[in-house]
Amino acid sequence: MNNTRFINFKLVICVLSIIALASIIYPLFSILIFVEPSILLESLTRPRVIDAFVLSIGTASVSTLLIALFGIPLAYCLSRYKFPGRSVAQIIIVIPLVLPPLASGALLLGVFNPQSFLDKLFPNVEFTQSIIGIIIAQTYVASPFMILASMAAFDSIDKSLENVARVLGKRNLEVFIRVSIPLAKKGILIGIVMTWIRAIGELGATLMLAYNPHTISIQIYEDNALGGLSQAIPGIILSILLSIVLVIVYSIIVKKSSGDTIKNNKIFSFGDP
Amino acid sequence: METRDGEISLTLEIVNLVKSFPGFTFGPIDLKLQNNTIMVLIGPTGSGKSTLLNLIAGLTKPDKGSIYISGDDITNTPIESRRIGYSFQNPSLFPHLNVYENIVFGIRKSIRDNQRSQINRLVESFGVSNLLERDIHALSGGEMQKISLARMLVTKPKIMLMDEPLAHLDTKTRVQLRKDLRRILKEEEVLGIYVTHFEDDVYALADSVSVLEKGVIKKTDTLKTMLTFPNNPPMSTSSISEFFQRDHNYLEGCVTDSTNGITTFKVGEHEFEILGDYPIDSVVGVLIKPEDIILAVDYVSTSARNIIKTKVAAIYDSNIKTGILNIHLVIDDISLVSRITQESKDYLKIIEGEYVYAIFKATAPHIVREEKKRNKIS
Repeated sequence: MNNTRFINFKLVICVLSIIALASIIYPLFSILIFVEPSILLESLTRPRVIDAFVLSIGTASVSTLLIALFGIPLAYCLSRYKFPGRSVAQIIIVIPLVLPPLASGALLLGVFNPQSFLDKLFPNVEFTQSIIGIIIAQTYVASPFMILASMAAFDSIDKSLENVARVLGKRNLEVFIRVSIPLAKKGILIGIVMTWIRAIGELGATLMLAYNPHTISIQIYEDNALGGLSQAIPGIILSILLSIVLVIVYSIIVKKSSGDTIKNNKIFSFGDP
Repeated sequence: METRDGEISLTLEIVNLVKSFPGFTFGPIDLKLQNNTIMVLIGPTGSGKSTLLNLIAGLTKPDKGSIYISGDDITNTPIESRRIGYSFQNPSLFPHLNVYENIVFGIRKSIRDNQRSQINRLVESFGVSNLLERDIHALSGGEMQKISLARMLVTKPKIMLMDEPLAHLDTKTRVQLRKDLRRILKEEEVLGIYVTHFEDDVYALADSVSVLEKGVIKKTDTLKTMLTFPNNPPMSTSSISEFFQRDHNYLEGCVTDSTNGITTFKVGEHEFEILGDYPIDSVVGVLIKPEDIILAVDYVSTSARNIIKTKVAAIYDSNIKTGILNIHLVIDDISLVSRITQESKDYLKIIEGEYVYAIFKATAPHIVREEKKRNKIS
């Protein structure tokens, strides 16, 4: 009786899992229906698609660098220091993640519109409808991924290692560079990949702040709006190929990270009270 | 700070140190340690032993009081500038570095070449020279702890704080490592504070012992004094035994002869024999159970190798069982306790102030310390 129940349970779990996987994979294959092989290669090399693709990669890279520059220290600060308003700060960093991207774009437009204070402060800088605008939108929307992943990574470090480094004569900056960052490296790398993926796929906020020049997401959106799905296929195919590469990179990092975690647990578990 | 040549003495002085935590106040603590002393800190869990180490290291800020090293106030000195080594229960090796990189972590790259001899000496002292290129994940617990201790000592700390670093090691490794540790701390002339729950650590490592209870130091004294049975009955156990719930006689002396598996060591003018071969001129410390010391009113020929004439200083209840007495015996600087029954005492007519022979076999003493002779035994 119990055995039958267990088999039934496994069956239900398997069926639900297959449906979940199919719902993800089916759209990837269904898009091929709209592809005419004879024109696929030609369409993939269409200049405006290539330009949009390259622009997305470039802006996402800059955004990721900016997020890393400010986000990693913020993550360290939130992980290590206790200060008034820390809990509020931890909520604030999640806001771009929970806001609808279009709303995020609208907020950014409020800050960077041509009549804004910042626009007047930097009159020669084009904040909207420019590459800078794209970077601002991507940075805002993708920042939680880096900050949250880095914070989790710093949280997972055995704090006694940082104390040992201080006792051994290292100043706080040296401890950060020589102990905290190397030990949080895997989590930070995962954060970087996730941030980059999010920035590449960014549409909503960019749509509001910098529709032009076109990123790959806006190019797909526009091609679909003007010429239907078949016209958007080249951009979609390029995005899918890039996604596959990124997913592989992400998996490698996660796998390596899991292996190291097991090793580290071996080191620390025996000494723990 | 010149300490090796002995011109300037190294002292650690703690004055009126207080730290409050929710529901627990640590202190006020006053403590003074000098030169090459190893102080073992004992006390129940939660008594504040680790807090004291954290305060000295700078990991915790005191609410009140001061800490001085050789007269310099270091109370507000940053951790990294204190030149204090700190070894934890967990060896806390850096998992992203190999053994050698861990050991030299605290030495600036620019001066590593100049420190080569110091590094090599410590690496060889701990017997880890064959492990230097290894990944730390491939080390045993004992090896990890040796690397951890070597890593601290290569930075030439003035003071070495050790928070039960050997607690999680197997008995064999612990016995060997604490012997090595005491030898190395003495060789490196480092003042050490060692926290432990293990009685054997006290005997093997301590020059002095502090008993910490509820955040205050209940007693501090040399190991010998702590282990000497009190002259004031009815206290029936020594200060350490009171903590560990066991009592022993402790004798420490210099080996004068070692022949055919019997070693003779001298305490003052009195010689004692124990089983085993120990190097001549080395210092040995032994424990003898009060039950293993029998008494005789007259000199008797016996197979027991140790017979010493002593004066009965006091007789008092052992607090173990009704009818069991502790007979406190003294001769010169030696203080012993024999445990006998009330009937035996009555039969031998033992009374305070009279002389009796204390007799024990060479197999009775349990050796707890063995080290090279030093100029001064604390």
